Amino acid sequence: MIQDADDIVRDTVVEANICIVGGGPAGITLAMELARSGSSILLLESGDLGPTDDAQALNVGEVADEALHSPADKYRQRCLGGGTSIWGGRCVPFDPIDFETRPWMDHSGWPIGYQDVEHHYAAANTLCEAGDYEYDARLAVSGGMRPLLRGFTPRYFGVNSIERFSCPTNFGQRYQARLRAAANVRVLLRATATHLRASRDGSRIDRLDVRNSKGLGFSVKADQFVLAMGGIETPRLLLTSDDVHAAGIGNGNDLVGRFYMCHVAGTMGSLQVNGGTDTVSHGYEVAADGTYCRRRISLRPDVQAEFGLGNVVFRLHHPRITDPRHRTGPLSAIFLAQSFISYEYAKRLVSDTPPTAGTWLRHGLNAVTDPVSTTRFLGHWLRHRTLAERKFPSVIIRPRTNLFSLDFHAEQAPNRDSRIGLATATDRFGNRQVRIDWRYGRQDVETVARSFDLLRDDLANQAIGQLTLAPDESDIETVVRRDGAYGGHHIGTVRMGNGPSSGVVDGDSKVFGVNNLYVAGSAVFPTSSQANPTLTIVALALRLAGHLRGIGKSVPQITTVRQSVMADQHD
Amino acid sequence: MPDSIDFSRKQVLVLGASGFIGSRLVAALTGSPIYRPIAASRRSGLMVDATDPERMHAALRDVDCVVNCISGNDRAMVRSTEVLCEAARASPPRRIIHLSSMAVYGAATGTVREDQVPVAPVSGYGQAKIDCERIVRKYVDDGGDAVILRPTCVFGPGSVQWTTRLAGLLRSHRIGDLGSAGDGCCNLAFIDDVVSAIVAALNAPDISGSTFNVSSSADQTWNEFLVAFAKALGATPIRRIAPRMLRIETKLLAPVRRIAAMAIHTPATEAITPSLAALWRQDIRIDCSAAEATLGLPRTPPARMIAAAVQYDSSLMEPALS
Repeated sequence: MIQDADDIVRDTVVEANICIVGGGPAGITLAMELARSGSSILLLESGDLGPTDDAQALNVGEVADEALHSPADKYRQRCLGGGTSIWGGRCVPFDPIDFETRPWMDHSGWPIGYQDVEHHYAAANTLCEAGDYEYDARLAVSGGMRPLLRGFTPRYFGVNSIERFSCPTNFGQRYQARLRAAANVRVLLRATATHLRASRDGSRIDRLDVRNSKGLGFSVKADQFVLAMGGIETPRLLLTSDDVHAAGIGNGNDLVGRFYMCHVAGTMGSLQVNGGTDTVSHGYEVAADGTYCRRRISLRPDVQAEFGLGNVVFRLHHPRITDPRHRTGPLSAIFLAQSFISYEYAKRLVSDTPPTAGTWLRHGLNAVTDPVSTTRFLGHWLRHRTLAERKFPSVIIRPRTNLFSLDFHAEQAPNRDSRIGLATATDRFGNRQVRIDWRYGRQDVETVARSFDLLRDDLANQAIGQLTLAPDESDIETVVRRDGAYGGHHIGTVRMGNGPSSGVVDGDSKVFGVNNLYVAGSAVFPTSSQANPTLTIVALALRLAGHLRGIGKSVPQITTVRQSVMADQHD
Repeated sequence: MPDSIDFSRKQVLVLGASGFIGSRLVAALTGSPIYRPIAASRRSGLMVDATDPERMHAALRDVDCVVNCISGNDRAMVRSTEVLCEAARASPPRRIIHLSSMAVYGAATGTVREDQVPVAPVSGYGQAKIDCERIVRKYVDDGGDAVILRPTCVFGPGSVQWTTRLAGLLRSHRIGDLGSAGDGCCNLAFIDDVVSAIVAALNAPDISGSTFNVSSSADQTWNEFLVAFAKALGATPIRRIAPRMLRIETKLLAPVRRIAAMAIHTPATEAITPSLAALWRQDIRIDCSAAEATLGLPRTPPARMIAAAVQYDSSLMEPALS
């Protein structure tokens, strides 16, 4: 069932076997999986069924360097579905190397192995609606996918891995009926968790303080609590809850909020491919199950080890939209329409220095002088993106001159100084806002720079094409800084570790030292991989559901306790 | 001496023998050492208009068992059940097996056993099946011997309703991956399993007056089944159907297609009715533990059902007209 917390009487104590905080992909997956267990499940979502200004205002916070990281309330959605209400749908599994302790990368290594997660990827793929769990270009599409670059057999890179795309599925919409129908699941909307109340000895969470949208408080008692609030909000709640654990819950070793990673990603370079346009297939192919699949170029694990680099992938991309010299009507049409594109997508597509009147004019000319391809592009977009339920994932333009740019998506190495902390300003419930201080390191720049060089060599040695930096790119670090932290991937802030000195949660996602508190979501990833996080978030949520299954038996009960009792418990 | 063997075999009158289930039952009984089928329908075999009391009386003479597989329009189904039970009172067969349907449960959800009461809305077809069951139960109350079977969606080679029709809709990409509109539980009864349950019910002891759900699988959603079926048919790439499109189909196009179907029957005139769309969403899990225990109901897995349907009916592989 789905209910509104605004209907709950003040000081009510809501009881459940398992309380999940956060209705994003992790929380919804957990609730659905546990719907088949005998436990009573309570899922708290701070927002509504769709986004609201009131709920979004609770995400506001400080950003240390606004040139490097987007504002705290962007790429974060307080509504049922969470990040999946705005995601692009790219699904990619982690690689085995991502879980390994790599001598060349400090703080790498998971307490669990690839196979522990791999086991859940197929089911996660289904929940994400990304079709069959098949990520090999030779098998994903009947007869195999066309080669990205004909004849390209690089020395340093793999060319057969792909990404598959979700519809993109908004978990909040897609699974709402299932959540409503599940007898043992109770979803409370407009229920914002404000404070975790630990037992006096700190070994358990006794209660969770919650506010509804009117600001009235109630609390939740549960046998187990799972925080699934995202990589920024989860450390915020842990750090805020500092009455018993003075440094915040799970933060005895000053790890909560630290090691904050996004991805180092963006678009760069200039690749002139030799031969005709038919030598390149950089777009999407459709699998039998209907999912869009796309090839990528991935740095081989042995090469990562040889050169001491992080994991990274490249895709061929159309020329940078902002530069009108591409003379491509559709790209200029996107540039001209940027005010109609949401912040999250406009930033990736067109963000750059403010355009001059001359730039606008040149884009206008491009669109007008290339009317056939502009119209064809818009028609395709309308039919396969705007009106389609399974959406064409991104802008694919085949440049007439075989001149491409390069999309890169690189692992960010764990960095203790990159962190989510608390600001001094507070939200309307009196909780301190977040302060985001994202940092990148030498190794992150090195991963992109070195792999760019290796790819340039591979392309040149095989006479495939010439890869250079673009005229306005002085060096790789400028490129890395220009694109900054990749929006929406909030990783590592409640990291998994072998013990409390290296992690906040253990291999089962349970907070060290607190017996009934778990964390779901990318906050627990100790390393960030080359892969987008959602598929692995869902896979880990499935794994956590397996761990939690079978705890408790009854449906959530509401009991109203007297004020005096509540006051007692606040002591 | 075939004749002497025939006399020792029990005569089973199959009403509705030209239909999908009836014809498959007759085929199965033909090879049986125990039973001898008498195929009766309006069009072939023993020509019986089941709504004609005199013809029914004549048909019942000397038969051991009757299996009522008659389908068709709702009124004719009820009328023929009345006529059958009336005639059986005059010359009672050893047992009547009456085929009902899961449609009697209407909009019920959750795990559904035979004692589940109907939940509104119940379709016209479901109501007719409820009326038929009432007539059969009255016959049992009056001392007759009858067993009611409630198959789910009967799937298999030659099933127009649940195989050919769905295949056509998948081929024309009017259905496919339905998203949340296909999250309902897919209860399919494989034709061989249904026939097996009927044969077992013919002589199982002490089951007069009993009702049995008959289904092979309830382990997947309609979406999962449709995607698997589409892949087996080669109706790919599978299209994701927008909820908007499904609403247009059921509300606007279905009436038009039904009218057109009176003139010409093609995949394009196959309507996606509101009740069909409601079934795809219905979270109803038909429990068949009683039939498993008493009738030894086999449970063919979905993959085998699909393989059999695709392999058997080569006409399924012809391209759709729309």
